[in-house]
Amino acid sequence: MPAMDQRQAMQGLTDVFRTVFDQPELVLRDDMTAADVENWDSLNHIDLIVAIERKFKIKFTTREITGLKTVGDLAELTAKKVGVAP
Amino acid sequence: MSTTESNLGYAALLAESRRLDATGRGKSKIKVALLSDAATQRLVPILRTLFARQGVDAEIYEGPFDAIELEVYDRNSGLYKFQPEVVMVLNCVQALRAVFLRPETDAVSFVDATSKRIARIWEAIQTNIPATIIQSNFVLPYERFFGNFDQKVPESLSATVAAVNSRIAQEARSRGSVLLCDVESVASWLGRQQWFEDRFWDSAKYFCALDCLPYVVNSFVAIVMASLGRIIKCVVVDLDNTLWGGVIGDDGLDGIQISAHGEGEAFYRMQQYLRALKQRGIVLAVCSKNEMANALLPFEKHPEMVLRREDFAAFVANWNDKAVNIRQIKETLNIGFDSMVFLDDNLFERNLVRELVPAVVVPELPEEPADYVRAISELNLFETTSFSAEDAQRTEMYRAQAGRREEQAGFASVEEFLQSLDMRITVGRFDAFHLPRISQLMQRSNQFNLTTRRLSEIECKALMDNADWLPLYAKLADRLSDHGLISIVTIEVLPDDLAIRDWLMSCRVLGRGVESFLMNRVVKHAQELGLARVTAEYIPTAKNGMVKDFFEQFGFERVAEGTSGAARWRLLTKDYEPRPTLMKTAKE
Repeated sequence: MPAMDQRQAMQGLTDVFRTVFDQPELVLRDDMTAADVENWDSLNHIDLIVAIERKFKIKFTTREITGLKTVGDLAELTAKKVGVAP
Repeated sequence: MSTTESNLGYAALLAESRRLDATGRGKSKIKVALLSDAATQRLVPILRTLFARQGVDAEIYEGPFDAIELEVYDRNSGLYKFQPEVVMVLNCVQALRAVFLRPETDAVSFVDATSKRIARIWEAIQTNIPATIIQSNFVLPYERFFGNFDQKVPESLSATVAAVNSRIAQEARSRGSVLLCDVESVASWLGRQQWFEDRFWDSAKYFCALDCLPYVVNSFVAIVMASLGRIIKCVVVDLDNTLWGGVIGDDGLDGIQISAHGEGEAFYRMQQYLRALKQRGIVLAVCSKNEMANALLPFEKHPEMVLRREDFAAFVANWNDKAVNIRQIKETLNIGFDSMVFLDDNLFERNLVRELVPAVVVPELPEEPADYVRAISELNLFETTSFSAEDAQRTEMYRAQAGRREEQAGFASVEEFLQSLDMRITVGRFDAFHLPRISQLMQRSNQFNLTTRRLSEIECKALMDNADWLPLYAKLADRLSDHGLISIVTIEVLPDDLAIRDWLMSCRVLGRGVESFLMNRVVKHAQELGLARVTAEYIPTAKNGMVKDFFEQFGFERVAEGTSGAARWRLLTKDYEPRPTLMKTAKE
């Protein structure tokens, strides 16, 4: 996958969020946290991470997974990982 | 992963589970309890979804995390309050490994201690509830502390896990109501590289990668469905390009491909596979568009054929459409369409059968014959919950039955024919020796089954030990074959009457008068006990229409009818005329 910026990552993440949380209208914002998205609990968090990893062909570390605070952080990290050759 | 991934995608299944409640209710219900030392939250929606696909509404009890023993040793636990019909005990290797690697663990006694601990869990469950237990085995870990040498060191982790699996299997073999879910084979088939996802074990106690989870559940559901009597009994095969390469009618005996080596090996392997299925009790039948003489030719003359004519309980070769022929095979063998699998290399024929007899299972066969066996194996069509000596002889019994049909033509009347068979019947109270076959018949009989209560082996044993019940089996033999144990009648002795609770019979002995013999016996017993009445019940299912009027035939009077067609019946013992029968009691 070619390098991407945070905005492009956000577009891809939107698809994943909509599927995982079963909310086809969901719109993501950088400052969103788990508290802002319905059903974003620890179980769905793992589903989400796995779906993102699969879509972007990347892998997060446990520390990254637990350390993420906002959707913006997630988009930034995703864009960074996609940009780095595996 | 495997070819069926599209049906078992994790995300798709979760999405499907969210829409479950809106899609209406299944035909049957089941209560399943899950006990595990791993997290099971995500198993629950997938379980419900895969059961729903089978037409079953599953109510699921999820035991608290890592509390298997707390649940099973507490008489008042949520598990026992829930009264499950099936308890799945899912132990994961991650938890086992953690214990094994503790400094105080004695590796030498670990196998023994672990397997005993698991067996005690089963015993505790069985003491409290009559549930079927499904125990997982352990996935082999990836650590090899000695490398390849692990296998030579009995106390190594990997050798220990393998030994525990083998001990669990041994323990389960002597207990009919404990079934095994071979999670290790699911993992090794999918690939242990993908299976283990330690990040999620650490953070959420998931025992495998999310994508693997549906395959475990699928395996588990397959076992439960088999325990409910959804069992494949017969494989119907095409001949040309299915059992051998080429077309016998065009290519002739020398032109078809079937041999132990080279191009014909794919078909040779296919035949070996089918023969092995036959040996474990699956009945084989041929359904081919061919002249009969051509169809038989390879079986009679080709030196490399693995299967012989006598391996097939039915052999149909003509130019009728295959749906017609499959119906005929079904009639001959007296089984349900949904217990038949149809294998044919030709897409047209597969689609025709799917259209016209939708209950028959018709797997896709790959274009490459070398992949036939693998494609069929991957579908895991042949789950069962028991195996008895009678399974191995089933084809002989069906063949003898077909033989009797032919012989029947030579007699002036059916009675005359039956008389000539020299039938001998044995009736006995349930005993330990016959319990496996008894519970198997309980699971299998669909058509001649008045109440279709699927009693498990432990429930049957409970009846055996209950002095207020008279649980009877019947065995039948005749000049042409030994049918084995073919009928079950259970009776509860009440203060004022004898209540028939279960009455079922294998359809391969229909029309012999076994039921008359048994009814005479039941009524006589009531009379000897001085009971004035025999009561009984008929509960209709999709398959037992043939016995709707069963009790009426014996002079029972209908006393109540429910909305769903269930009926209660009553017979005054003084009014009963013993029915004539053509069988003798066997001397054992």
